Amino acid sequence: MSSLNASLATALTGLIAEQGAMQVTTNNVANVNTPGYSREDPVLVTSDPVAIGPLTFGTGVTLQSVESIRDPLLESQIQQQTQSQGQFSTLASALQQTQANFISSTSDIGTAISNFFDSINQLSSDPPNLSLRQGVLTAADDLATSFNTAANNLSQQQTSLDSSVVQTVTQINQLTQQIANLNQQVSNLQNVGESAGSFVDQRQQAIDQLSGLVDVSVISANNSLTLTTANGVPLVTGQQSFQLQTQITPAGLHDVYSQGNNVTSQITSGQLGGTLQARDQEIPAIQGQLDTLAAGVANAVNTVQAGGFDLNGDAGTNLFNPPPAGVTGAAASLSVAITDPSLIAASSDGSAGSNGNAEAMYDLNNQAIVAGQTPTDYYSGIVFDVGNDTANASAEQTASSSILQQLNDQLASVSGVSLDEEAANMVRYQDAYQASAQVITTINDMMYTVINMDTLTV
Amino acid sequence: MRIDPNPYPDLLAEVAQTQQQVNTDEQEIASGLSVNEPSDNPGAAALLVENAGQTSEADQFERSIGSIQGEIQSADSTLDSVTTALQQAISLGTEGANGTENAADRAAIVVQIQGIQSQLLNLANLTYQGNYVFAGTATQAAAYVLDPSSPSGVTYQGNTGVNRVRVGSQITLQTNLPGSQLFSASGGNVFQSIQDLITSLQGGNTASIGTAVTEVGDASSYLSEQSVFYGNALDQLTSQQTYLASDTTELAQQETTIGGADLPNVISNLTTSQTSLQATLEAIAQTESTNLFQYLK
Repeated sequence: MSSLNASLATALTGLIAEQGAMQVTTNNVANVNTPGYSREDPVLVTSDPVAIGPLTFGTGVTLQSVESIRDPLLESQIQQQTQSQGQFSTLASALQQTQANFISSTSDIGTAISNFFDSINQLSSDPPNLSLRQGVLTAADDLATSFNTAANNLSQQQTSLDSSVVQTVTQINQLTQQIANLNQQVSNLQNVGESAGSFVDQRQQAIDQLSGLVDVSVISANNSLTLTTANGVPLVTGQQSFQLQTQITPAGLHDVYSQGNNVTSQITSGQLGGTLQARDQEIPAIQGQLDTLAAGVANAVNTVQAGGFDLNGDAGTNLFNPPPAGVTGAAASLSVAITDPSLIAASSDGSAGSNGNAEAMYDLNNQAIVAGQTPTDYYSGIVFDVGNDTANASAEQTASSSILQQLNDQLASVSGVSLDEEAANMVRYQDAYQASAQVITTINDMMYTVINMDTLTV
Repeated sequence: MRIDPNPYPDLLAEVAQTQQQVNTDEQEIASGLSVNEPSDNPGAAALLVENAGQTSEADQFERSIGSIQGEIQSADSTLDSVTTALQQAISLGTEGANGTENAADRAAIVVQIQGIQSQLLNLANLTYQGNYVFAGTATQAAAYVLDPSSPSGVTYQGNTGVNRVRVGSQITLQTNLPGSQLFSASGGNVFQSIQDLITSLQGGNTASIGTAVTEVGDASSYLSEQSVFYGNALDQLTSQQTYLASDTTELAQQETTIGGADLPNVISNLTTSQTSLQATLEAIAQTESTNLFQYLK
């Protein structure tokens, strides 16, 4: 047989459950603008009923758990897209800086090449003219300077990207350590059956941040997470993080190591992947092209120069200091070998008025002297490559940003806190709480009635 | 269906994107170029490099033509003067061949022709900007010097070298003829013919004088034939100048076509972008934080 005390206890569960639900709503409202916060839902379940005789009575409500509302599939997609976004954002930014060396100007390499050959053509109209000869030396010096400037800018950019590699590895290590710690906290709570929602949120946000820095693969098992790079380089296993290290190479750049292994080439995505791609692939490729161009022009000019005669009738000597063997570093080191304008070998027959060799030198402008192309064609190819790579990286960045935005919208539609929803819930919980309280008041009245039955006068 | 309760990130992303478009449009309008950096249009940027190279080359060819034109004109007019002097020598020689002239008359003619000989030497040693024009490529020394031991009275110091200057991507122009080809060629030796005329006048043999006059005439004819070279060269230069002027214009048009901003279109885009930006900002301003909490009492 039921009792008023049982009813009171049942009503009390209502009060406690609604208070708990109200606490969840309060927490949701408080975190409405917290990045990475997933809204929580109180899970109310009916308390186990009791059978009294032939009758079964409910015993109220229990706040069984507080659940974070999340979508693991979307979270995984966001991680992947964040990696792409981090990679292409870094790459596009680096290439934007790189292409500044190839914007048309009065001192860009293309203009310097034209000016150099133009000065030779001008000299051929009056070969003994010392002013025109000086003009050739000045144009040659300008050409060397434009190569030096571009090569040095690229080197500086590479050094700057290298610093970024070291900084990013430090950030990665901080995040993996943080994720390992959060793994432990999540695991501790989940092992005792408690909700770890806020720690899971923090961990998820740290993973998202990590995804922006490096390619991350997440494996979830036994209340814990294991993180590796896409190529299997371990980052976090449960409560242990595996720190990445950097070591300087003979070239003066830093490679990334994991547990003694060089994993630089295995990092393909995220900010670190983009930085490494720019540092180790894009910029060296452009430097290589510039070296080929500088060496091609310098060697061809020197060869023609050696076949002619200077103003004194002597055999021509190098106009440019010979580029290094293998051409690496040719653009950075290109320099003019002579300062005396009379040493320009314009003559083809040894007489001062001959311009045959100057014409031969000028004709190099339209000869395939650089990897099977004319200097201008080869340079325009570099401009195309740099522009194309930059445009592609920017387009990829825009696309990944757009997809990431859509995914974040989708996730927010699942996990985001809606104030309307929370207000409605608040009203519901308040109403239920008031009702339970009213029930208690009524039971109290009933008890009063029972207790004072003997004093009541009919 | 539950919707994203926070519209601000999307709206702000839209603002950033539209602002970027506004900046791009404004930059295009300010520079007048649609390709301000290679990534704007890599193919066009590469073509612009080629175009700049061709334009620079065409400009240089025009400058080179300007430089060599003066020298060729100077050589051409000098050869005219040589021809005139030779005609004058022929007239004097013809006069000296006249049987009515006495020795004193012929001596006076000889003096005049020696003056012409001296004038011819000066003309053959024409300099242009410090270079001896008729010395082949040995332009730093006089083409001819007096040499009493030589039958012609002079010695050619130059060489037989010629220069060619590129005045078009496919055109090179020979800019000189050596004096040995103009004044002392075997087919018409100017100095030898004048020296022979003087010698014959001094000898007084009218038949020899007549022969010498013919020799001068032959030398003059030969020189006239040779000097056509300079006239042709000047014509070629003028023609090439005309071509280069139109080529430069064509290249400038190509540059505009490849990399110039389509201003009406860009301005229209800018207006659209600005309107879109204003509308987005307005939308953000009007996205009041209306929610159920405000209605609960």
